[in-house]
Amino acid sequence: MTESEQEIEGQVRYPQAPDAGAAGDPQPWGEKTRVVGSRQPRVDAFERVSGSAIFPSDVMLPGMLHAAVLTSPHANARVKSVDTSKAEKLSGVYAVISRNTEDANPDWDYGSDYPGKLFYDHCRFEGDFVAAVAADSSYRAHDALRAIEVEYETLPFVSDELAALESGAPEVHDGGNEAGHQSYSRGNIEQGFAAADVVLEETYRSASEMQTPLEPHGCVARWEADRLTVWESTQGVFAVQSKIAETLNMPLARVRVIGHYVGGAFGSKLRTDKYAIAAAMLSRRSNRPVKLFMTREQTLVSMGNRPPTTMTIKAGAKKDGTLTAIQFKGIGASGAYKAGGTSLLDWLAKDLYQCDNVSTELTDVYINAQPARPFRAPGYVQCSWAMEQMMDALAEQLDMDPVALRLLNIPDGTQARGNKPYTTDGLRLCIEQGAKAFGWDQAKAAPRGNGHLQRGVGMAAANWFVGDGGPPSTVILRLYADGTANLNMGASDIGTGTKTVMAMVVAEEFGMEPDAVQIEHADTATTQFATPSGGSKTVPTEAPAVRRACLAAKDRLMDMAARQLGRERDEIIFAGDRLRTADGLESLAIPELDELKKQKVVVGVGERQPNRQDVSITPFAAQFCEVEVNRRTGEIRLLRMLGTNESGRVINRLTWDGQVIGGITMGVGYATTEQRVLDGPTGKLCNRNWHDYKLPTALDVPAEIISEPIMLSDEQANIVGAKGLGEPVTIPTGGAIANAVYAATGIRMRDTPINPVTLIDPLASQEG
Amino acid sequence: MCASKRSQDQGRQSGATSGDRFGFTRREFIKSWSAGGVALAIGHNAMAAEVKQPNEALAGDEPVQLRLNVNGKSHAVLVEPRWTLLSVMREQLGLTAAKIGCERGECGSCTVLVDDLPRYACMVLAVEAEGHRIETAEGLVNGDQLGAVQASFMKEDGLQCGYCTPGQVMAAEGLLRHNPNPSFDEIRRGMSGNLCRCGAYTNIFTAVADAAVLRKG
Amino acid sequence: MFTPFAYIQPGSVEDVVTALGDKNAFIHAGGTDLLGCLRDDVFSADKLVSLSGLKDISGVSETSDGGLVIGALTTITDVAEHPLIQRKYAGLAQAAADVASPQLRNQGTLGGNLCQKPRCWYYRGDFDCLRKGGYKCFAVNGENEYHCIMGGANCFIVHPSDPAPALVALDAEVAIVGPGGRRRLPVSELHMPPEKDPTRETVLQDAEVITAIHLPPAAAGRYSSYRKIRTRRSWDFAVAGCALAFDMEGDQVRDCRVVLAAAAPVPWRSREAEEVLRGNTLNDGNIRAAARAAVADARPMSNNAYKIPLFEGLLREEFGKIVSA
Repeated sequence: MTESEQEIEGQVRYPQAPDAGAAGDPQPWGEKTRVVGSRQPRVDAFERVSGSAIFPSDVMLPGMLHAAVLTSPHANARVKSVDTSKAEKLSGVYAVISRNTEDANPDWDYGSDYPGKLFYDHCRFEGDFVAAVAADSSYRAHDALRAIEVEYETLPFVSDELAALESGAPEVHDGGNEAGHQSYSRGNIEQGFAAADVVLEETYRSASEMQTPLEPHGCVARWEADRLTVWESTQGVFAVQSKIAETLNMPLARVRVIGHYVGGAFGSKLRTDKYAIAAAMLSRRSNRPVKLFMTREQTLVSMGNRPPTTMTIKAGAKKDGTLTAIQFKGIGASGAYKAGGTSLLDWLAKDLYQCDNVSTELTDVYINAQPARPFRAPGYVQCSWAMEQMMDALAEQLDMDPVALRLLNIPDGTQARGNKPYTTDGLRLCIEQGAKAFGWDQAKAAPRGNGHLQRGVGMAAANWFVGDGGPPSTVILRLYADGTANLNMGASDIGTGTKTVMAMVVAEEFGMEPDAVQIEHADTATTQFATPSGGSKTVPTEAPAVRRACLAAKDRLMDMAARQLGRERDEIIFAGDRLRTADGLESLAIPELDELKKQKVVVGVGERQPNRQDVSITPFAAQFCEVEVNRRTGEIRLLRMLGTNESGRVINRLTWDGQVIGGITMGVGYATTEQRVLDGPTGKLCNRNWHDYKLPTALDVPAEIISEPIMLSDEQANIVGAKGLGEPVTIPTGGAIANAVYAATGIRMRDTPINPVTLIDPLASQEG
Repeated sequence: MCASKRSQDQGRQSGATSGDRFGFTRREFIKSWSAGGVALAIGHNAMAAEVKQPNEALAGDEPVQLRLNVNGKSHAVLVEPRWTLLSVMREQLGLTAAKIGCERGECGSCTVLVDDLPRYACMVLAVEAEGHRIETAEGLVNGDQLGAVQASFMKEDGLQCGYCTPGQVMAAEGLLRHNPNPSFDEIRRGMSGNLCRCGAYTNIFTAVADAAVLRKG
Repeated sequence: MFTPFAYIQPGSVEDVVTALGDKNAFIHAGGTDLLGCLRDDVFSADKLVSLSGLKDISGVSETSDGGLVIGALTTITDVAEHPLIQRKYAGLAQAAADVASPQLRNQGTLGGNLCQKPRCWYYRGDFDCLRKGGYKCFAVNGENEYHCIMGGANCFIVHPSDPAPALVALDAEVAIVGPGGRRRLPVSELHMPPEKDPTRETVLQDAEVITAIHLPPAAAGRYSSYRKIRTRRSWDFAVAGCALAFDMEGDQVRDCRVVLAAAAPVPWRSREAEEVLRGNTLNDGNIRAAARAAVADARPMSNNAYKIPLFEGLLREEFGKIVSA
């Protein structure tokens, strides 16, 4: 497993009793739940809609300065000299740091193989740090940046991942541009192709896509003597804490990281970056709190991307639709440092459909561009683009319905991770129920249209390999004497509704309303440890721990009730918000417990137990899409999309649907509007703002997006029956859209994105 | 409901009060020369005359005193001519509902109402905002009572991370003041100047439609 | 972030013209494009001369001859929503409605829109390009998918405005005030072809200000339209667009204007297409021939040959709509 895969998985497996199915485990909630499964507005919705939520970029402290960072404007350059003397003399400027300020230039590495510094002599990508300043306004900070004189020696560069592999290409690091190579095989691929009646081979390309959350990357740093507090826009406060402590050689106990709100992340804020260190250094030098947020342009240039990818798939099938062989070759670009350029890229090829003969080969490449970062379903989104178009092409060759072909090749379990059975038949359920809800058969049979506006439908399916969650996670529940509760957990709510889901778990257990739960979260000093919120693992990781914390607290309340009523402990049961005797003769409300009145609070601690090792706990998805293409202009109108997901139990239907809608919307951007453009002659980013890098707007999304959850509880997954949802919702979108465009036009769009610029030429060629 | 109506009225009232000092009410002033159906609000130097004299250049490096009417309250602030309304609201007035997303008019997370019309506060110089009625998401809230648009965003979950949300709310508020009965397509167009990377648009459309009903309440 | 600038808000056009005489002074109308350029360090300003103190250069009014005068400070929203413009000059209203985003339309002005700077990512980015006084056009050997296919010469931007092609099609004129007094200029002559001067977008002289846009009376039966193709359906510049103004007699074209957007560094009147159609029947054969004629002289760059079929398809579709209108 690569470092970034570990980061996505973000969990350690302990040899303990599994989280589900162990002796003494609580009963599943069953079908009848009171709060769980309902549509609950977010517990922090008021803060978020009123503008009173304080995001890290909103934090203001007395005396706080504003920082700005000077970054390298070159794809590859040596920094020969930095002259900050003019900047230092400007009024309102409190601190300037660069390679000249040795005590403010700690070691920094982009991975253990590469020594480096915060301000390093060799900037291997546009956007690497050269200097930073703190001033009394952001305007003056930028004035100071302009006054810094830097002498660069520009070096040869390579910015295209295929060119980087050619002999004679400039080397990003000594020793060639191959950053990694992985291969996998099962069965016998040659025999598999020999057994096929149809063999297809195609190459697909997926452009680099950038996360660009609305809140830029950054933080506020403040020192109190030798203790540092950082308010950072992050997916995981503990990950930020450990990186800062390691970089500054500080004990963890002297670094406090707070991240109550985060304005979007999508994987790009799983870890911190140089900005946190620069903010801490500027703050120390100026003896003032410092706010350092990257500019929007800088976030595009250097704060994360989904790697550009080239994928060749060769697939064979028998006439009856049985897949006999899948060969997948993928090339992806990490960027200037090893950063998972091909992370998880082959997983759908080797694990989505039943196929005995599979071989994959992945080549990760260095280029002189910003390091990649995990981006919502890394690897899977790209592979789905290729794999699901290939399935569509196979179906056509076989004269089969794309839905039918997929249903014929549903595996019983994971084939690439030790032949473990899946805990559910989720893939089949998603495809079947999705097709039904979408009206696939009718929509597919309907005519394309006879003018220049032609419609078509397409679909794609997916699974996701870390929707199981797992340890470590510790959660503390405090039950107050009045029956309300405080939930203490380290996890961030990155907008997926984590806090609300956890409040609902507590509410379910205690028969209260979710708004009776106060939540304390995402603060390394005051909350329990949690891994970053990412990888679709937050609900299946935290919710079982929360339930266990509730159960522990309930246990103590039942003890109290037994003593108060003079009954045996096993005569006491919890019924809604009351404790009653099994014979139904006596009951107490929580606030009526005498011991609780005296003690004021009862504490329950919950820990996430490991997953069962004999099964594969996997979420599944399928999406269906109808498009209309204007054959004269290449314009695509997405008429409607439907997403079916099997992620175990639906805890909050409202935020579940929000995830589905959001995942599809993000997939619409990937498939139709977004693409990083690096200038060929200079290697610099051309589209460094949101006019040129095009996120989808309200007018680009389908008029109708339907979420159709598969209603089940995955009892083998964990004690809440829920799996992860945040990533499966975006994996199939691109493939479904491309397949619908094919159905409408007969044109196979192998490269992202599909829009008038890319579609008009093939349309015109068809016209002849 | 609804709180938003109340705060709107408060805004008008105090706008009129501050206008009276200059011998006319804000509304009359707009009416006297605005064109078309929408109140335009340029040419306000007559109002501003007490603070900055027309035809007198403000030096780039010297702060100038301005009076900004935000959420019905008049604030005296000291700004450089280059400071945007967004910077001044956030850093001097402590109003952080309008967010910094791009500072170049490309995301909408700083959307505020200027004389009832949605604008990007990052693209408005503070010196140009004087004499106009500015409203932010904070101004739609009354105690623990949300404005109609905000309540609908909450109910329909027209958000995820919430960072773009105060801007979306103000775009919706501006849309509904201008067009109380928008069609689905008009809602989509009206909301097409606000990016949501979490992708909550579909729920935002529902929330705006819901708010249109609620506002009539 | 902006560098420091002085600011002045004169109360009369004359005072504006005087203030613009100062070194490195720029007009601030709506400010949306100016502030974007300053933010991007495309250029810096020593002084902004705000037009927001002017009372008499906004709004729409009818002239005695049946034409229209639109004050230069009229916002794009007001142009898009004005009933008279929608009725008599639909192409202009449609073009205005397609500009940028609602917020920018609420702030940007028609005069400012005509004078905006190009969106070329080399011009806006950290490249020492010809238009900024540098040494070359980086699009020539660079990423030029959004650049021009006609009229490029030495600089290969496309003109970013939507209303400008519509105004050219409608034979509009701009009223200008400057140090030399007042003058009128057809919009079709307002924009500077790069071969004449790649560093200026318009032919306006130093310290000249557009105060109004004049639309001549529209002939009875006038059809006008604007259509924009973009890769994103809001808040995006055209990758191809066309403004049409057709005076029809039955299915015969009495006179016509065909103006392309995003084809060239200036709004590009396609006299070739007009010639095919003028005096002829608007039938399928003529429509195809006219659409083809419009792009016959196109000289695409390495990455933008797609614009040729795109313009052709777009024009076929838009000409076809006149027949069914």
